[in-house]
Parts: sequence; C-alpha cells; structure tokens
Amino acid sequence: MFERIEMMRMARAMGHHVAQRQVVVARNIANADTPGYRAQDLAPFEDSYRRGVETPALRTSNPRHIPYEGQLRPTALTTDEAQASPNGNTVSLETEMVRAAEVKRQHDLSIGIYRSALTLMRASLGRR
Amino acid sequence: MSEPISALRLAASGMRAQSERLRHTAENMANVDTPGYRRKLVTFEEAVRFGRPTGEVEAGRMRLDQTPLPQIYDPAHPMANAEGYYAGSNVELMIELADSREAGRSYEANLRMFEQTRQMGASLLEILRR
Repeated sequence: MFERIEMMRMARAMGHHVAQRQVVVARNIANADTPGYRAQDLAPFEDSYRRGVETPALRTSNPRHIPYEGQLRPTALTTDEAQASPNGNTVSLETEMVRAAEVKRQHDLSIGIYRSALTLMRASLGRR
Repeated sequence: MSEPISALRLAASGMRAQSERLRHTAENMANVDTPGYRRKLVTFEEAVRFGRPTGEVEAGRMRLDQTPLPQIYDPAHPMANAEGYYAGSNVELMIELADSREAGRSYEANLRMFEQTRQMGASLLEILRR
C-alpha cells in the first residue's frame, strides 16, 4: 500500500541502496590488508534511481489483487582505480571512512523522510 | 534486512583476522631474544565457503620468516658453538611495532563499521516503535 506513494517509495529505494553500499564499504574495510584486493563502490543513488525498475510490475486482472510495482535493479559495482600499495591493495581507510559517513547521512535522510511521510499520513487521518 | 547483518558479519571477520595478526605480532615480540626463533607471518585472504568467495576476510596459514638468523658472538652462552657464535632470532622489534600499530588501526576501523551498522539497524527499528 505504501509503495504507491512516490515519496515513500523513493525513501525506501534509497534505504535499500544505502544498505547495499554499507555492505560494500564494510567489505572494503575488512579487506584493508588483503593482498591484491581492489576497493569497490556502488554507483550513486541518483543514477540507479533514474534508470528505473528492472523487474516489471505484475499485471492485475482483478481490482482486489495486490499490485506489485517491481524492484529497483541492483546498482553496478565499480572498482577503484587508485594507487595500489606494494601488495596490490587499493583500499584507503580514509576514503572508506568518508564513504561510511556518507552512507550514515543518506540512511538518516531516508529514514527521516519515511518517518515524516508517516507523520503526514497520520495527520491526514486526523491522529497525532 | 539481510544486508545489515551481512555487513556486521564482514566487519566481524575483519576484526577476527586483525586480532589473529595482532596475536602473532605479540608472540614475535615476546620471543625477540629466544635463540633460533623465526618470526611468524600471517597473510590475509578472502574466505571461500562452498567454493564461493564470501567477501569475508580470514587469516591464512601461518608461515615462518625464512630470512637467515643472525649469528651472535657470545662464547659464554650455553648454545654457543665452537667459534663462540649462536643463532639469535630474526625478529625486528621496529617492524613488529609498526605491524601491531597497523593491525590495531584496521581493527578500530572495522569496529567503527560494526558500530555504525548497528546504529543504522537500530534507527530502522525505531520506526516500528511508534
């Protein structure tokens, strides 16, 4: 039901994207000293959101069917082309910290938007 | 909800690997004056489960540093040979110190990641609590 509201849908998609990015950053930091490991990152959320949905929405033949809007396609992994250390590792802990801070900020943003959308709906229902 | 948990698992694997490295460094430092002791080394590698790489990190097999042991001249030493030399250990305190600092720093970075993932999960659950 909430998928129909564009604002909440976007906040949900952003939360999903940010959760995936958190895994990528965690993997980079865990492998900060693994020889030959290349640091990875996800494409920005704007790009992946504009490209739209991959799985098509389900067709409904009955008005009582629950609509399914399809899912955002998983964003592409990009590999850093930074200067590698002598053991072939390209992870820079400083860059990863910046990425982690970005992830946290975007996550807070998506949750904030979702929550304020919920408050709006409550207000429109006449509740506090 | 599976993503935050896998991020926690990744951070935990990093902490595990770094603490193993720290343990070997401490062992090397403790044995800096043990005659004939060879420095222990661990390399990190990607963990593979059921033939698939998981992205987690683990410490690989422990290896011994094969650089030649220094010959120390001390005729009074019980292990000295006919010429008065005995084999020392090939541990360099400076290298071990730098290694332990690096391991500690990487451990902290993983810990920060763990903490942040936990916070993100908690604030997600906070939405339900209204």
